[in-house]
Amino acid sequence: MNYLLHILIMINIYIPLALSLNLLVGYTGLLSMCHAAFYGIGAYTTTLLMVNLKVPFFPALFAGILFSSLLSLLIAYPSLRLRGDYFVLASLGFQIIVFSILYNWVSLTRGPYGIPGIPKPSLFGFEIDSLPFFFLFSLFFAGITFLAFRSLYSSPFGLVLKCIRDDELATIAMGKNTTFFKIWAFVIASGFAAISGALYATYVTYIDPTSFTLDESIFILTLVMVGGAGNLKGPLSGVVFLIILPEVLRFLGLPDTVAPNVRQMIYGGLIIYLMRKRPQGLLGEYRWR
Amino acid sequence: MEVNGAILEIENLKRHFGGVRAVDGVNLTLSRGRITALVGPNGAGKTTLFNLVSGFLTPDDGKIVYRGERIDKKPPWFIARLGIGRIFQDVRIFHNLTVLENVLSVVKDNPLEKPWNLLRARKYREFGKEILERAERWIEFVGLADKKDEIAENLSYGQQKLVAIARLLMGEFDLFLLDEPTAGVHPKMIKKVLDMIVKLKEEGKTIFVIEHNMNVVLEISDWVYFMNEGRIVSFGTPDDVLGDKTIRAIYLGV
Repeated sequence: MNYLLHILIMINIYIPLALSLNLLVGYTGLLSMCHAAFYGIGAYTTTLLMVNLKVPFFPALFAGILFSSLLSLLIAYPSLRLRGDYFVLASLGFQIIVFSILYNWVSLTRGPYGIPGIPKPSLFGFEIDSLPFFFLFSLFFAGITFLAFRSLYSSPFGLVLKCIRDDELATIAMGKNTTFFKIWAFVIASGFAAISGALYATYVTYIDPTSFTLDESIFILTLVMVGGAGNLKGPLSGVVFLIILPEVLRFLGLPDTVAPNVRQMIYGGLIIYLMRKRPQGLLGEYRWR
Repeated sequence: MEVNGAILEIENLKRHFGGVRAVDGVNLTLSRGRITALVGPNGAGKTTLFNLVSGFLTPDDGKIVYRGERIDKKPPWFIARLGIGRIFQDVRIFHNLTVLENVLSVVKDNPLEKPWNLLRARKYREFGKEILERAERWIEFVGLADKKDEIAENLSYGQQKLVAIARLLMGEFDLFLLDEPTAGVHPKMIKKVLDMIVKLKEEGKTIFVIEHNMNVVLEISDWVYFMNEGRIVSFGTPDDVLGDKTIRAIYLGV
């Protein structure tokens, strides 16, 4: 039972990451490779406030969201001028910079030692320390995220983002200030990624920079691409599928020495297969050409 | 405002690319509510002139005045919001969106384009209904009512041009810049597109059109500017300009 709850909690934690990245990738057409950076910024901001300044969870979470959204302006800026491959490189650079800061600013983040003993969140003086409660707690955030993105995706705001994805020049010619839309897409996406960071940190109660690497960014991107970009059910199916898949593989009874490698190979093969045969992912609607 | 007053005035407009003077001191005036054609051989600077008017290029020198306001050096989205709409040579509709979405996307000042307004979306429900009705009306106007939920990519090229026109109508644009509206369109559809342009004029829109097909120019336009090597070399009624021997020599080599 605990094992199942753990998997469900992980799914809840990844839902804001996938849905928010979808706003950039599937809607605005910006292949961002730095989503784990905002995930990390959220996790570290919340953690440092809770551990060092004894700030309660909710104010710390809001600070994390705010700080992550603010820093997203740094990557929103190059996106205003760069398209396609060049933006991918810029976002890659941002990811590396954030990781380096988390890793090397030892006096603040304790660098590679990580931060242990992160307190569990508490709600009206009631500490959420058991798995069932944390599941409900994370479900609450996943639910809020779901509702928020459902309304964003289907809104005129989301429609203009889709227009930017299809043809930015034409969108400008229709009188849309695309700068405004791209900046808001980044601010919103980064804010929601920070929610996942705060949940992860308080769930695992220990964070170190290796959870927020480029590999993690690629994993989040994979959730969106495998599940499918450009709608609501695509990224959700990606999260469920890719979080459960390794657990299923575990039951294949592969020897411990080869299991991780086989898993990686299955991931790789799966992505290549999907890109060839189903560019819109499992349930998505936007085709990658 | 008088019906045929000037809506757009261009004065001594210049733009060069390296040593090439693409637009070299153009002066012209567009009359409100008329169809003005811009003709000339390939490389005359016609599309560059359109890019300057719509703000995608900034002029090196000269003035562009739209309804009394200087618009050169303004960003393209700002110019579009003033009412100058454009249909590109290669249409550029939003390929992955449906016809209806294409038309809905250009609504001017939609409050729900501001993400924070989504928190009180209920307040704007009426507005949403109203723009949906308007969008459907314009789609019907261009004759695509039965294609409303079709993905734009699946339409024929001529139909895509009609979607682009519906989009501009929805966006409440007043001056339409049409870059070769009949190019690449199936002959059967050309008539439809032209009828639509004449209908736009009847709706009170001002049209500035680049066109290569002389029959089309003669048929629909009220006034013609002939451009060659970056300059306006002749202007007048279609019959005058296209009947001129030197013009025919430049254009057709006869």
